[in-house]
Amino acid sequence: MTMNILPPNSSAIKTRFAVKFIQAMKRLSKRRGMGDRYKRYRATRAAACVSMASAVGPEWAWSRAVLRKIKRRRLLRQFRVSRKRRLIERTTNPRQNLGFGQEEDLRGLVPGGKGMDYCSLLSETAHYITCLQAQVQVMADILHRSSP
Amino acid sequence: MEPNVKAVQPQFRSGISGPKPGGMGFVFDDIHGLIPGPPETDGTSFTALLELPPPQAVELLVMEDFPAKSMPPPIFPSNIALSDRASMFSIFASADNPPDSTNIISASSSMKIDSVKQEPLESEHHRNSSSPAVSNQSLKSIKRKEREKKVKESSKKSKKLEANEASDGSGEQLPYVHVRARRGQATDSHSLAERARREKINARMKLLQDLVPGCNKISGTAMVLDEIINHVQALQRQVEFLSMRLAAVNPRIDFNLDALLAAESESSIDNSYLGMFPPSIWLEGQLNGSRQQQSWLIDGVHPSRVDDTSNFITPDNSLLSYDSPPNSVSLHSSQLKMEL
Repeated sequence: MTMNILPPNSSAIKTRFAVKFIQAMKRLSKRRGMGDRYKRYRATRAAACVSMASAVGPEWAWSRAVLRKIKRRRLLRQFRVSRKRRLIERTTNPRQNLGFGQEEDLRGLVPGGKGMDYCSLLSETAHYITCLQAQVQVMADILHRSSP
Repeated sequence: MEPNVKAVQPQFRSGISGPKPGGMGFVFDDIHGLIPGPPETDGTSFTALLELPPPQAVELLVMEDFPAKSMPPPIFPSNIALSDRASMFSIFASADNPPDSTNIISASSSMKIDSVKQEPLESEHHRNSSSPAVSNQSLKSIKRKEREKKVKESSKKSKKLEANEASDGSGEQLPYVHVRARRGQATDSHSLAERARREKINARMKLLQDLVPGCNKISGTAMVLDEIINHVQALQRQVEFLSMRLAAVNPRIDFNLDALLAAESESSIDNSYLGMFPPSIWLEGQLNGSRQQQSWLIDGVHPSRVDDTSNFITPDNSLLSYDSPPNSVSLHSSQLKMEL
């Protein structure tokens, strides 16, 4: 039976993510034009997602999707072009989906989930969950340390 | 050997209808597939099968009818060469197959090798007993014992592969291995692929169940999926919440990257993450590994908190308070130990 890729080494990912995230935060704090605003929150959130995705690497589909989305958003912000929505064909096997539309919910949650088959969707979800947990731990840790 | 064959063949059919009347229809295909194999005298598996007294051979072949009983692997009394060839076949099978079916084949071959290894032992037992009558009775008793022990699935798959050798009867190379379907299941390639896919999906679901806390007790795919979706949503909300707070705190933070990277390269895995921040920010004497584990544990409790409150503007106390329900903490600690 083909096994999923082994669960990621959490401390390695945490270290990589922490380094990248802190670098991004430094850059963010030095940037001008960021008052006490919603903009800063969005930039911080984007920095968190991007640093996590780049720490994970391109081998996972969800990290590629996150990086694509952020790059697209940056380009759009620069040039203010209206977006074209790409329609991706969904390859759903109706026999597998026994529940109440859970599969599409999952696809909506996991980045890049719309263009995947069910099997890889599940493994991507597993990896995504571990990375999210690591991310939450790191960010909470940073928060605790920086404001005792 | 020849009269034996002739005597056995009609008895197959009568034997089927005789002692075991129920649900014979499915087995005919298997037996008809086996019977036309030419009776060879060079000690191949089919003749070995025929060396057994007919009712027992029928018992072996008809085993698929009774899912309730557990079944032994076929015992070929005096043919060790068979078991060797069987093990060789399984190796060939795993080498030759396309990757999709290797899952099934390797699983079955691994199980088969276990069952095959027991056969040489038993065949030696049979050899020691001199008269055929005694050997028959010992066969019966041993088979009865093994029925209680053996698992149906492994014996069935081993039977499949050895039955394949029987139908082949030729040299030592199989173009591909026929995987026999279980009773009541279709045998075409589509459903086989479907079945392999389903098994893959079930394996992934199991992994996810282990990952998400509290999913082990839930039975049923739909609710597990619901739990997974809730968990992912909760984690994403947590990330957003934390980034909001970090954005609020950000201008006042002094991130000392040099100390970060230096400390990171020096310390061990447990503490490498601790060494990220300059000592001025550390609370003295408190940032040991145990405390870090505790704070990570506490963070793991947050999904339940955030779910309950569903409110981003919680006071600072909620994040920093360390009272937490014990069961979720223990769950998360076990998770951490798994990960680390």
